Amino acid sequence: MTIGEELSKAFHIARKDMRVYYFKAPNFTYGLLMPVALYLAFSVSGTLSPATLISGLVSLVILFGTMSIEAVSVVLEKQTGTFERLLAAPVSLLGLILGKALAGFAIGPLTAIAVLIPVSIFSGTSVQSPLTVFIAICISSFTFASMGILVSCFARWTPEAQMYSNFFRFPMAFLSGTFIPVESMPQALQLFSKLLPLTYSIDAIREGLNNPFVTGSYIIDLGVLILFSAAFMLASARVLERQLS
Amino acid sequence: MVGLESAVSVVELTKRYGSFAALKGISFDLHQGSVFGLLGPNGAGKTTTIKILTGLTKPSSGSAIILGHDIARDAIQAKKRIGVVPESSNIYEEMTAEQNLVFAAELYGVSRQERGRRAWELLETFGLAERGRDLVAGFSRGMKRRLTIACGIVHEPDVLFLDEPTTGLDVQSALVLREQVRKLNREGTTVLLTTHYLEEADQLCDIVAMINKGKIVALDSPEQLKASVIGSNIVDVSFSEPVDEDELRKSCGLIEIHRLGDKLRLTVGSDVDIVGELSDYARARGLRIVTINTLKPSLEDAFLRITGLNPEEAGRDKEPVRPRRQDG
Repeated sequence: MTIGEELSKAFHIARKDMRVYYFKAPNFTYGLLMPVALYLAFSVSGTLSPATLISGLVSLVILFGTMSIEAVSVVLEKQTGTFERLLAAPVSLLGLILGKALAGFAIGPLTAIAVLIPVSIFSGTSVQSPLTVFIAICISSFTFASMGILVSCFARWTPEAQMYSNFFRFPMAFLSGTFIPVESMPQALQLFSKLLPLTYSIDAIREGLNNPFVTGSYIIDLGVLILFSAAFMLASARVLERQLS
Repeated sequence: MVGLESAVSVVELTKRYGSFAALKGISFDLHQGSVFGLLGPNGAGKTTTIKILTGLTKPSSGSAIILGHDIARDAIQAKKRIGVVPESSNIYEEMTAEQNLVFAAELYGVSRQERGRRAWELLETFGLAERGRDLVAGFSRGMKRRLTIACGIVHEPDVLFLDEPTTGLDVQSALVLREQVRKLNREGTTVLLTTHYLEEADQLCDIVAMINKGKIVALDSPEQLKASVIGSNIVDVSFSEPVDEDELRKSCGLIEIHRLGDKLRLTVGSDVDIVGELSDYARARGLRIVTINTLKPSLEDAFLRITGLNPEEAGRDKEPVRPRRQDG
């Protein structure tokens, strides 16, 4: 099958997922309200710079929004039997996972921009490079969507998927510089934060907020996020492959 | 029309789940244009076979070739040519019937122009056109099942796999589905179906494989399988008063006796004049024979005889299947 055919089927799967999963109530509570409430609760100290505050909040919204959808998208299909239809169709496992991730990828920028614009206006922060911020938001969305798929592949039912995703989301939220700048954390935690994709998402968005041009750090951040995405997708395909065996 | 070329060729297929062997080296060929039935009790290995043939699980050993493509090694090419209707309905309740069909067509690369046309054609065929734009969540079980089958054939597959297609359906929906299977087969689709319902297999299938405990125990046409149990006769009889079954067995030289409601099903050797024996038995005890029917062996009788199962194990309690009446 050609790459074009694979991409076309991935697109159809993504569009179907958007129809089926976008408007479920938990996506709004877990994906938007929860990170905003969480962030407001921790940022009242006023020690964070506006750029750190906005990049942290936007990244958190992307993380929670995309993972809330993706962490249950495979497991819900397994529960209802519809996943078998996808597996029986002439599409590779990677194509199927790509389609699933694309659905989460599409919602990330919507929620991120919905938060970014009012917060920027409210805090009087000007976005130095809207395009680089947008690209960072898009790539972060894809990374966290892929991460959600991996979680969903392991889970057997929805509460299990939500438990697994919280197991990753909350420690990441605290250790990636969202509430506390990474530089002010102990050395060991600073090293650990380098292993977390949220750290690179926050950094990339902050670079775009602060700099009118593309920086080396920004390029590295995006490169690492893309590597994380590839690793999550390949791992998801491997997990599904093993389940088929 | 059954062709000579193989649509599906299964060789020494095994499937193990840990130490449990779900399939123990089954082999069969399914000729193009035929309807092949896989019969067996729950847990016999029917669904595992279908899952392997449709790429939903991988065999532990052996091979399955679908229209020249090995389903384990060349899965995408094989999957392009097949349609799958699983045992449970697998449609998206948050989407309309039309959207489900169009999505199924998209997965198989049906062109944009064709998707809508085929979707509405199938909605008409399956009596769902009036509800085509409604969310599936509000559909009855029978409607969902019909839509599931429509989704399985929207890309016009060469080989169609149906896992228990009529289980749980009302009589009318089951009749519609069986007629659809016949129509698809007349149009050239090769069909492999699993079923608990032996009468369904008898009506639809050219070839039947009886599977039990992961092994194929018989593989032949329904008529040949039925002929294999000739040598005995089956008689349904009811008396005006309850009778002692052991005494009846001994008096009339019966091979088997089963109670079916208010009547008894008797199996006797073909050399026994059972009508005369029963008349003598009734007269001697002052009983009246209320009804008596001699029956031809059914596929069910063949199944029970070949697998050695009793009716309960074979799932007869799910839906009784009656042998056809020969005379009254």
